[in-house]
Amino acid sequence: MADILDVAIVGGGPAGQAAALHLAGRGLDIAVIDEQPRPGGQILRQPPASFTVPGWLAGRGYARLKHQLARFEALDDIRWLGGCSVLDLAPTMDGLSLLAATPGGISRIRARHVLVATGCQDLAVPLPGWTLPGVMSAGGIQAFVKSQRFIPGERILLAGTHPLQLIVAEQVVRAGGEVAAILFAQPRAGMIATAMRHPLIALRRAPDLAAAASAMATLRRAGVPVRFGAPLHAISGMDRVTGAVTGMGEIACDTVGLCYGFVPQSALPRMAGARMHKAGPAGGWACAHDHWLRSSVVGLSVAGEALGVAGAAAAAAGGAIAGIGIARDLGLFAPEQAERMARPHRHAFDTHRAFAAMLDSIADPTGHLPRPDAETLLCRCEDVSFETICGAIEQGGSANAIKLATRCGMGACQGRNCEPALLRLLGDVGRGDDPGFTARFPARPVAIGDLAESG
Amino acid sequence: MSGTRIPGETRGAAITVIVDGAPVPAFAGETLATAMIAADRTAFRHDTRRVARGLFCNMGSCSECLVTRVADGRRIRACLTEAADGLEVRTDG
Repeated sequence: MADILDVAIVGGGPAGQAAALHLAGRGLDIAVIDEQPRPGGQILRQPPASFTVPGWLAGRGYARLKHQLARFEALDDIRWLGGCSVLDLAPTMDGLSLLAATPGGISRIRARHVLVATGCQDLAVPLPGWTLPGVMSAGGIQAFVKSQRFIPGERILLAGTHPLQLIVAEQVVRAGGEVAAILFAQPRAGMIATAMRHPLIALRRAPDLAAAASAMATLRRAGVPVRFGAPLHAISGMDRVTGAVTGMGEIACDTVGLCYGFVPQSALPRMAGARMHKAGPAGGWACAHDHWLRSSVVGLSVAGEALGVAGAAAAAAGGAIAGIGIARDLGLFAPEQAERMARPHRHAFDTHRAFAAMLDSIADPTGHLPRPDAETLLCRCEDVSFETICGAIEQGGSANAIKLATRCGMGACQGRNCEPALLRLLGDVGRGDDPGFTARFPARPVAIGDLAESG
Repeated sequence: MSGTRIPGETRGAAITVIVDGAPVPAFAGETLATAMIAADRTAFRHDTRRVARGLFCNMGSCSECLVTRVADGRRIRACLTEAADGLEVRTDG
């Protein structure tokens, strides 16, 4: 690898691919880094190369994204670094420096420009029983189906506020799995009313609404109940899930998928010191950016969900804008030329973000989240209970102070799971302006021994 | 068994991983997580109270699926680790 790359792209999903496609073929030294072995991101999480899956993700909604992925995979001047986790990102004199855990050990990667396109994750929602084996994020279940071609339970309950759970359930049912029910905590009338307030925005993304309607029809034919105004209260079981306590009574199941929305995976820009702001109603932190999706850190651009969760189409448009912007900063395009090239992508970006804002309102979990009980673990890594955290909040102090006092957020996930819940609790007592945890090294778990060997 | 491999599709070669000393069937290309859940081994680690904990996010973010690789004692994320013939892990960590 070159001593210093021109561009390092973190994330091989729609945003990273779109940026790479605009930067490729211009003599640049570019690497795309991803934790998964193959490109695609979570939206197109590919089956392993050793599988043969006829008609994989054949739905209309995936067609454009699959076309872009095929173009990306055909690029021959981009270095693909699959199976690599970025642990650290920091500005340097002449660009940025990344530390990555690769299959061959720890590696330092330097680049003049870095694009963070790390996507999002499901909002982790603490409720009684949520640490039982068998409770997963809805996105986790979907990834099993999409990529591993595996239905991770015999009888799956989906619960939350986000319409994506209809798509997940449909994919499970089509693959031959059993879905016990899909529970929306919010009433249906409110969801429809929100969509009706924005008819033009809804119309522009008609295929997505059609996909949801088609999922509903498939589920109805399969006899899967879809209920609204039906909250999930608790998950029951001794050493694994055996059922759930819901607004519809007890439901027997061995797997529960939680689907209350998505938060940006923005640990890397936070570590690099980029200016952040609060993301959508599900919580988390989005990276502030300029016209070319450049962050406040010189050389660091951000595209996709790390700007605020807006879906794959917005991510692809943003990736294109960021890629063109980086090429412009490298002097490959004149400013007017770059502006002209970016124009259609800016239009798409704005359209898709408007749709995402509407979806955010429809799926807003505020007021619909389950209530933890005293013993519920808010911090899954360090086993810190709701009661302990409430006690620490009463003492006053910031999220960082509560972290020091209780170890909440100190574990291997680096606060990804507990921070949104902790910040909601702080918000409830009038401390909603808390800046959250200070992002700490490493962004992903790594063995001390591996770090020592890297020198 | 817990969960189902989608029928009618071709997977990689049949292999065996070892979880807590017991052989667990898998197919090349599967993650350790898939092989474990398919074999009804839903506990991936044990917390400070020795309570079994399962996989949560399945995308490398939450670290709930950290198992211990016997060969070197390292904690690895089962959802990101490809099953390899003879790979041995423990869930008592």
